Amino acid sequence: MNGFSPSSHLLLTIAAPLVGAVIAWLLGSRGVSAVRQSAAVTTLVTLALAAWLIVRYLADPATASGLPYGLVEFPWLTEGIFDVRFSLGLDGLSLWMFGLAALLSVTAVFVSWDAIKDRPVGFYVLLLVLEAAMLGVFAARDVILFYVFFEFTLVPLFFLIGIWGHDERRKAAVKFFIYTLTGSVLTFLGLLTIVLWHANHAGVVTFDIESLVDGTKIHPLPMTAAGGWLQMVVFLALLAGFAVKVPIVPFHTWLPLAHVEAPTGGSVDLAGVLLKLGIYGFLRFSMPMLPEATAVAAPWLFGLGVVGIVYGALVALVQTDLKRLIAYSSVSHMGYIVMGLFALTPVATEGANLQLVNHGLSSAGLFALVGMIYERFHTRNIASLGGIASKAPWLAVFFMLFTFSSIGLPGLNGFVGEFMILLGSFQRAWSGVSPAWQFAYLVMALLAVAGVVLGAWYMLWAVERVLFGGSREPPRSAGHGHEPGHADHGHGGHGHGGHGAADDHDRCDLRWHELAAVLPLAVFVLWIGLTPATFLAPAAPAVRKATAASAVAFAARMQAETTATVARITNP
Amino acid sequence: MNDISPSTLLALVPLLPLVGAILTVALGRVLGSRAHLPAIAGIAAAFVVAVMLLSGMAREVGVGSTGHDHAAKPVEMVTTLWQWAGIGDAAAPGDGNSAAKAFAIPVALRLDPLTATLLVIITGVGLLVAIYSIGYMHGDPGYPRFFALVSAFVFSMSMLVAASNFLLVYVFWEAVGACSYLLIGFWFTKPEAAKAAKKAFLVNRIGDFGLAVATFLLWMTYGTLNFHDTTLADGTLVPGILGATRLADASAYVGGAVGTAICLLFLLAACGKSAQLPLHVWLPDAMEGPTPASSLIHAATMVTAGIYLVARTAPLFEACPGALTLVSIVGATTALVAALIGTVQNDLKRVLAYSTISQLGYMFAALGTGTLLGFTAAIFHLVTHAFFKALLFMGAGSVMHAMGGVIDMRRFGGLRRVMPITAATFLVGALALAGVAPFAGFFSKDEILASLHSRGWPDAHGEHHDAAPAGGHAATGATFHLASVTPDAAQFAGGARGSALDALNTPATWRILFWMSLVTAALTAFYTFRAVFMTFTGPTRVPDEAGHHAHESPPSMTIPLAILAALSAVSGWWLFSTHSLASFLASTPSFTAPAVASTATPPAFHWDLAIQGTLAAAIGIVVAALGHLGRRSDGPQMERFLGPLETLFANRFFFDQIYSALIVKPLEMVATLAAMIDRHLIDGLVDTIARIPVALGSVVRHLQSGLVQRYALAGVIGTLLIVLALVARAMG
Repeated sequence: MNGFSPSSHLLLTIAAPLVGAVIAWLLGSRGVSAVRQSAAVTTLVTLALAAWLIVRYLADPATASGLPYGLVEFPWLTEGIFDVRFSLGLDGLSLWMFGLAALLSVTAVFVSWDAIKDRPVGFYVLLLVLEAAMLGVFAARDVILFYVFFEFTLVPLFFLIGIWGHDERRKAAVKFFIYTLTGSVLTFLGLLTIVLWHANHAGVVTFDIESLVDGTKIHPLPMTAAGGWLQMVVFLALLAGFAVKVPIVPFHTWLPLAHVEAPTGGSVDLAGVLLKLGIYGFLRFSMPMLPEATAVAAPWLFGLGVVGIVYGALVALVQTDLKRLIAYSSVSHMGYIVMGLFALTPVATEGANLQLVNHGLSSAGLFALVGMIYERFHTRNIASLGGIASKAPWLAVFFMLFTFSSIGLPGLNGFVGEFMILLGSFQRAWSGVSPAWQFAYLVMALLAVAGVVLGAWYMLWAVERVLFGGSREPPRSAGHGHEPGHADHGHGGHGHGGHGAADDHDRCDLRWHELAAVLPLAVFVLWIGLTPATFLAPAAPAVRKATAASAVAFAARMQAETTATVARITNP
Repeated sequence: MNDISPSTLLALVPLLPLVGAILTVALGRVLGSRAHLPAIAGIAAAFVVAVMLLSGMAREVGVGSTGHDHAAKPVEMVTTLWQWAGIGDAAAPGDGNSAAKAFAIPVALRLDPLTATLLVIITGVGLLVAIYSIGYMHGDPGYPRFFALVSAFVFSMSMLVAASNFLLVYVFWEAVGACSYLLIGFWFTKPEAAKAAKKAFLVNRIGDFGLAVATFLLWMTYGTLNFHDTTLADGTLVPGILGATRLADASAYVGGAVGTAICLLFLLAACGKSAQLPLHVWLPDAMEGPTPASSLIHAATMVTAGIYLVARTAPLFEACPGALTLVSIVGATTALVAALIGTVQNDLKRVLAYSTISQLGYMFAALGTGTLLGFTAAIFHLVTHAFFKALLFMGAGSVMHAMGGVIDMRRFGGLRRVMPITAATFLVGALALAGVAPFAGFFSKDEILASLHSRGWPDAHGEHHDAAPAGGHAATGATFHLASVTPDAAQFAGGARGSALDALNTPATWRILFWMSLVTAALTAFYTFRAVFMTFTGPTRVPDEAGHHAHESPPSMTIPLAILAALSAVSGWWLFSTHSLASFLASTPSFTAPAVASTATPPAFHWDLAIQGTLAAAIGIVVAALGHLGRRSDGPQMERFLGPLETLFANRFFFDQIYSALIVKPLEMVATLAAMIDRHLIDGLVDTIARIPVALGSVVRHLQSGLVQRYALAGVIGTLLIVLALVARAMG
């Protein structure tokens, strides 16, 4: 193993999808199956590489203290004082997202297996480029490199939606692109301002994220009127991009449209990985570099998170399109993560960080299954669906599992993050804010817990209509879903119900590539749910480090407010 | 057995059914009609282990060997399986107030008299239900799925009562709910079943909300979620919420607003799971599930989780006398209301469902007295109720099985000639439920009435607890002995020694509750025997659905009925006369808290109460006999005498309609409104803003190629130019 350093391992993992993209492109003339097979092999190899890298990461004692792993560094754009580096590495913040990106890419390929007949070469090449960008963006340790990868996640997805999407794909693609691009340009300007501020004070123009974090500790951006509230301005600039990406209500309207119109593979990557970039951005940039501004904004973002939870759930409740419902559930669930992040307590932030992965698994799984339902029945209209549990019992089992994960059933992954977020938020509301804020915080925390009831309501309503009941639509029409469930994965006690059960003729259960798309996600849903400590511990030091400055600043602010209140009461 | 440690045995009780469930899923198709084997083997083995644990625990406690005046010593054993999640330093910067310093959740199981008793009931009734289901579920296409779910339920329920940590309790609290959801919706092609499953889950989620928030408050107040004391790596002792350290200290429990809030949230949770007012509405609908599942989950075990929770957290409740009183008020009211509704139901399973709600209400009424007698009486009734209610449900299932799925009592009658074993065993269950001596329900109901009576007429019992036997022990801000109680909580608690609810805690309240319970006893006897007479007496009639093969059920169904009938007949007398259950339970750590233990009274048989209770039962039975004995069940009903009340009862006090009008519909309207705002206001605004650059762009139309790649490129180049300009300026 000596010859295979962590650095080259990391580099190879990110480059593998690009190599695969070239191979897929070269195989283009051989037809659909050659292309998709090469894409599947590529994502599987990349996943193996990523998994192995994570194992090596966990085995390395240095990472436990929060040191980055697999550092790669080349001068990239070095010109005089200008120093942009091609700098990569993994740490606790990026580790699981990196793995999730590799895992969901496999899912994205397998859910597209039969769905994509039109121009498959372009589709799979874009999907693989997207994978490389997703892996790269979490490994980037340089602002410019991060931004390049960040934009690179945008472009392939734009084409995936615009070309292979559904009826309103153009509108959705343009809206998605303009919205996120506008946001990310502002984010980029904000990041550059930090770089320049640092350059002004340190004398070197560095784009290295870690140097910037250390530098802003020594020379924090001004948070005074005299300094033009620069820190706050920069925070808002970063927020513009991140809030759109998450999305935080009210910047979310691109999301349902993009999801509904996107091909399933695109939805999987979008919901599973790309939404998380916003939260990742807060953890990577805003919180460590702009702690005082974070402290000021935290109550408002905490509140917007709660608004997102309740609002997203309510809107989901009246959706008629299954995919749109799950898109709004994402809005609601990302609200929990935003809330947890800005609660700024250790339990909540670590829970939020884990919930990134959890939501990635459950929402990607649900979107994948909705895609499979659409392929079989050519509708996503909840009212036209029904009785799928009789026709495709294994599909129903997985749908049920991801639903349970999504509504936070204990024993599954979603519960862990949700519970920790709520517990940590309660801790904040209970004893970590000034008296002036306490009532508002308690109300918000209670509303968030109540959101758990709403979350179960809309998801179980959808399950009742879609999976249960008698069938309402002819099970399939020409072109799709002809093969009955394969016996090799159809064993077990999940037969159809006793009344009006479909006979074997109507069966249209999961095929092997569909099982390959969702089974790995299900494994992690259970694994994280049963031993969350395994997944919490490696991320903990990095999350702690990323949020520490903001938590301290927030505490100072609340202390000051409390003192001021006490002074006002005692000396009227 | 000497080489297997008790902790291994304890872990085996939930593990064996879990293995059974997994094997059933894995081998279901191969086993076909024998798919019950792994599940039954797993549950049976778990039952054997549970009995071993119970007898070991009984030896340790020394049941029978000590006098009753001897103060009970707490007995417990805790074993930690693995660390579920942990955050070493969970204190937020600047948060000096909260007790929450560490977040450590071990998967820890405990064994004590309460847990041991319930484990035997869960696995024992579970085993009988599973055996019964061989016959009942025969030929169902979902046969393996049923046994997998029953096994999974026994696993979850065992974990729930064995968990030694509040988070773990929450985990399995929801897990049993999920099993219940899947079993209610077992015949998912029936829309009513699917709807009932969803309703059960959602109503329970409201209760779960309470449990979640209570858990948060506990963590903030006590700094741990463990029941038991734990020792940190550095040797510091962390007193568990129900650990020996805290139990020994009469003032270690937070009263006041915080304590009351925790207890009321527990009560909310218990109302959800145990179907008490106002969250009882899911249980009658849950009868859409297979009858064996109703018997196990919605009668004998899962619905008693709320009783378990309140009993387990007795010391916390003792610190909040007002909350305790409310437990009794909720319980007695539920008991009465559900019994009234039960008197006019024509669906045999729904009669039993309302009866379950009512009997659970009895148990809550006893718990709320806050006396050792009340707590042990509640558990005693839980045990006897598990026997006779499981029996009655399985009897109803046997009828339903023979009647081709018909369960409306007006459509059959005189079945004692068709199915004599079912009729005889059902009658035993009915006698037990009605509280006729010497059947089981008589003794446990007598204890419950006694516990209520002792609070209403304290002097008559020679006891001198004041209005609040436990109130004096309630911790207040000034007297915390354990430093981990937060000053914040103290602030809350400090102002008011108790809460406004304490005003409820007067002898007059308890007298009313006692009379309500006595009336309920009469009603119980009435609706039970109304069902017996309608189903089994009168001219023999069977519905068309039964075809020509209306017959007694197979032995796999009648043998469990016979066993449960025997238990329903003798268990009450046996457990009461030996006083074994009560003295055994008294060693449960939670019941050794000074506030509970100090209320211990010598065991006594209350002749006056027994006579009143028997009289009430007799009245109920006689009235039922006047109306229904030997008559056609589709004839005129007793309820014609009720007048307008009939509408009220038949519509179940309009709870469902009220919830629909006050909660569901308004929420749906808000949701519709939110969706409209989303589409038209928020998204409309976005579109409008997006049009501005387009309008501007029309001026420079020639630059607009419509290719987004070009826009993107322009964007990136533009930003880079800005960068360079800024860098140049900064570097001067």
